[in-house]
Amino acid sequence: MASRTTDAPSIASHPDAAAPVPAIALSGLTRVFGVVPAIVRIDLRIGPGEVVLLRGPNGAGKTTLLRVVVTALSPTYGSGSVLGFDLVRERDQIRRRAELLGHRTRLYEDLTGRENLRFACSLYGIDDRGVDEALERVGLGEAGASRVRDYSQGMRQRVALARTILRRPDLLLLDEPYAGLDGGGKDLVDSLVVEAAGEGRTVVLATHDAARGSMAGRMLFMDGGRLAPVPDPAPVAR
Amino acid sequence: MSLARQSAAVAAKDVRIEIRGRYALGAVVPFAATVLIAFGLSLGPDRTLLQRTAPGLLWLAVLFASVLSFRRSYESEGEDGALEGLLLAPIDKAAIFLGKAAAVFAQLVVLEAVVVVLVTGLFGLSLGASPATLVGAFVLGTVGLAAVGSMFGVLAESPRAREAIFPLLVLPLATPVLIAGVKATALAVAHRGGEAHGWLGLLLAFDVVVVGAGTLVFGQLLED
Repeated sequence: MASRTTDAPSIASHPDAAAPVPAIALSGLTRVFGVVPAIVRIDLRIGPGEVVLLRGPNGAGKTTLLRVVVTALSPTYGSGSVLGFDLVRERDQIRRRAELLGHRTRLYEDLTGRENLRFACSLYGIDDRGVDEALERVGLGEAGASRVRDYSQGMRQRVALARTILRRPDLLLLDEPYAGLDGGGKDLVDSLVVEAAGEGRTVVLATHDAARGSMAGRMLFMDGGRLAPVPDPAPVAR
Repeated sequence: MSLARQSAAVAAKDVRIEIRGRYALGAVVPFAATVLIAFGLSLGPDRTLLQRTAPGLLWLAVLFASVLSFRRSYESEGEDGALEGLLLAPIDKAAIFLGKAAAVFAQLVVLEAVVVVLVTGLFGLSLGASPATLVGAFVLGTVGLAAVGSMFGVLAESPRAREAIFPLLVLPLATPVLIAGVKATALAVAHRGGEAHGWLGLLLAFDVVVVGAGTLVFGQLLED
């Protein structure tokens, strides 16, 4: 779909400027699939280093919002910037710095976990000497030599987590990252979020898992493709 | 990282997947062999007729089999959203096109070696008359086929589109390769390789246009 983003000035100043640049700044962002709007006029500002919990029922538009922010999808209307870069005109800059860990792990089934990570390193220009360490950290030190085809969903998710460890993105978008993971895996996700926050990186965590997300400093709620008032902010510990 | 290194990384990944899985060649070589044997049986024992039709049959087998290779090349990208991973990687998107085309080229060259051996054995075709012309026709033709398949394969990433749309897009566009490849091969086996320059030139021009177009537009085809 061709982008119809308005040419309004970017909300954020350029990252080279002295003023703090919001990690995410969206204005009137709308994404339509065919004639069906998935997200509608989203106005959102997330500061650098924030950890934000994103909740909402199925079909609320959480995944679409995250996919637009990471530039996997173009906005139909509206404008925005991510890490100070324009959502449409500076996609490559955003892609260098942002990572979406989503429903799909983006792994090649006929490559091993280790080969998948090495390939990711080659795409991102990362030194692949950290691959084995990353696999160890996600508990796949030995299984890294097996084909992904033979992995369980949880193991695939762990390889995707290892990719995130290698990349250390400035903006980490997690879309249902606990799905398919056992308790240890879920704790691993939490430790990554805490680590990212400790390093001043921004995290947006979308999850239905009510027991998770306590490390978030703010909660957003989506319903019907729009940001809505949070129905029950109690679960968010500050 | 340079475009060449990015392309090489994508190509190496695709070749590794093919070697590991043997999907394309495991299906493609038997398919090509079946086509050739079926044609050979239907045309009967007339050796002159077999030798006259062999260049066309050879290229038809390569063309149909190549469609299977193209489809498989993108099936692996659709398995778990891997193509989105390539889209979101900070690389020149032309590297994806060039890398995938290079990997398909390598697979088709292996296929063609098998097909040529089969045609030589089944139809008694002499291939030693103008080896340079023959090699030139296959190399140039394969570059064109690989480029067309890799450019349009991305449009057929969904399984349904792969089945329905992909052959409709690729086969008509591959027609110049088929015609020029058949003509150049026929001249080569007829000991008239020196007359094939025009057809080889057509294949070269086709390659330049398709590889150039793919390099320029692939990023736009890939983006949302």
